[in-house]
Amino acid sequence: MTKEMQFKTIVAQYCKVKPEDMTNEMRFREDLGFSSLDFMSFLGELEDTFDVELEEENVLKILTIGEALDLVNELA
Amino acid sequence: MRNQYPLVAAQKMHYDWIKKYKTQQVSGVSVVASLKSPLDFGLLKKCLQLEIERYGCMRLRFTKPDKNGDIKQYIVEKDTRDIPIKDLSGMSLAEADRLMQQWAYETFNGDDIPMCEITMVKLPEGFNGFFIHMDHRLVDSCAIVVMINDIMQLYTHYRFGAKYPDDLADFEEVLEKDLKKANNEKRFAKDKKFWDDQLDALGEPLYADIQGPSVLEESRKRHGNKNLRAADIELDNLFVEVKDYYLEPEPTRNLVDFCMNHQLSMTNLLLLGIRTYLSKVNNGQEDITIQNFISRRSTHDEWTSGGSRTIMFPCRTVISPETEFLAAAYEIQNTQNRIYMHGNYDPALIAEEMRKRYHTPENTTYESCYLTYQPMPVKMENPHLVNIPQHSKWFANGAATKKMYLTVSHTEQGGMNFSYHYQTAHLEEHDMELLYYYMMRILFKGIAEPDMTLGDIMEQV
Repeated sequence: MTKEMQFKTIVAQYCKVKPEDMTNEMRFREDLGFSSLDFMSFLGELEDTFDVELEEENVLKILTIGEALDLVNELA
Repeated sequence: MRNQYPLVAAQKMHYDWIKKYKTQQVSGVSVVASLKSPLDFGLLKKCLQLEIERYGCMRLRFTKPDKNGDIKQYIVEKDTRDIPIKDLSGMSLAEADRLMQQWAYETFNGDDIPMCEITMVKLPEGFNGFFIHMDHRLVDSCAIVVMINDIMQLYTHYRFGAKYPDDLADFEEVLEKDLKKANNEKRFAKDKKFWDDQLDALGEPLYADIQGPSVLEESRKRHGNKNLRAADIELDNLFVEVKDYYLEPEPTRNLVDFCMNHQLSMTNLLLLGIRTYLSKVNNGQEDITIQNFISRRSTHDEWTSGGSRTIMFPCRTVISPETEFLAAAYEIQNTQNRIYMHGNYDPALIAEEMRKRYHTPENTTYESCYLTYQPMPVKMENPHLVNIPQHSKWFANGAATKKMYLTVSHTEQGGMNFSYHYQTAHLEEHDMELLYYYMMRILFKGIAEPDMTLGDIMEQV
């Protein structure tokens, strides 16, 4: 599984959109229905899965799948 | 040999209360779910028994405490109990509610026993359904709502040929995942650092009571310490009363719209309302802590696995009266977002760290208010039942570990319900009236004029 698909599979655990239907422009809150708690729990899951350390200041600015994926790619 | 597991933090929280208050009553949770319709009780019994098979958390039991007082949990494979039926149809609905309230006060005493009781009920006015009484270590309120919906989906499947409900996530698998997360050393260190950093930056918290500064002053006298910053908790008289206030659909919509337009969550707006009230009645105190419950349910599996996933974290903010309402709301939101990111931490460890640092006396607290915001209505969401009147009601367990515990939920009519559970040892209905009245005045003043400072709002309301 590619890193992108692995990433989207995690996103799919939190919403009703299938990984193959996700686009980078999709916004976590408005398009995927994440609550603040969902989003923060999801970030914790990313940290554990990809063994990265996300800085709180940076993650609070993330709005879309593409932005989160870029950040993970940058750090991993 | 069945697997035995330690308790997760949310369960440990309830178990700690049971030990501290010396009664399992503090961990009871009860609800009745009924429909104004004749029910096939033979079929309902089958569905309830099937639910016990499907929803693993209902088969959860606890071992005898070891020499340190710690217990383990395990899931029994089969629980083939009979489900009794009680006929309360000859009473008024209020009398039936009173009787069920008495059932809610009952305790589960013993080790290695079922911690859940189900009774089918024939209620007055043509309502029929079931009453469930459980230990909170098995389920939280979200888990109960999921369970009730699943039972009714089973019933409508067998009765009307509706779709068979989707499988529920395996409780044991989710439990194992949770325990693995809790034991992740890297994550633990990061979470601990977050909570320790907060204490490093802000120092010891300061108690703020609903009734004003006199409560802390009394504790200071009792402990002979004029600098004490925590107040005593009630250990003996845990009797609780409940006062509900209903906010109509239109003002509710105004609050919801404000949240949507400013990308705020309702929890944070409510926290701001409570903290501003506490500040107002405590001479403008800026350092306020409120315990806020969060339900750790984000993934599909977490939503449908049942279990107790609701846990409270202290939301501490130091906000000056010169801060504008909206800016204060964002400050709370930032604090809460960070808490969510570190929400896997066991809150008992935060209290332990404070005891270590500040020598906080036993049985004292820094918080007088506890908040739960429940966006999910207690409603059987089933297309086959959509036109049938329902009577669902939560029953308080009658023993409050907290001085004031506010549950805010949305009603089917589009309004909001503010349910204040308060210890009668120290509080009266009038205290709740004041709290609700000022909370509303503060919130509606704030959303009407979000640039107004908290100081001005406190003065004007």
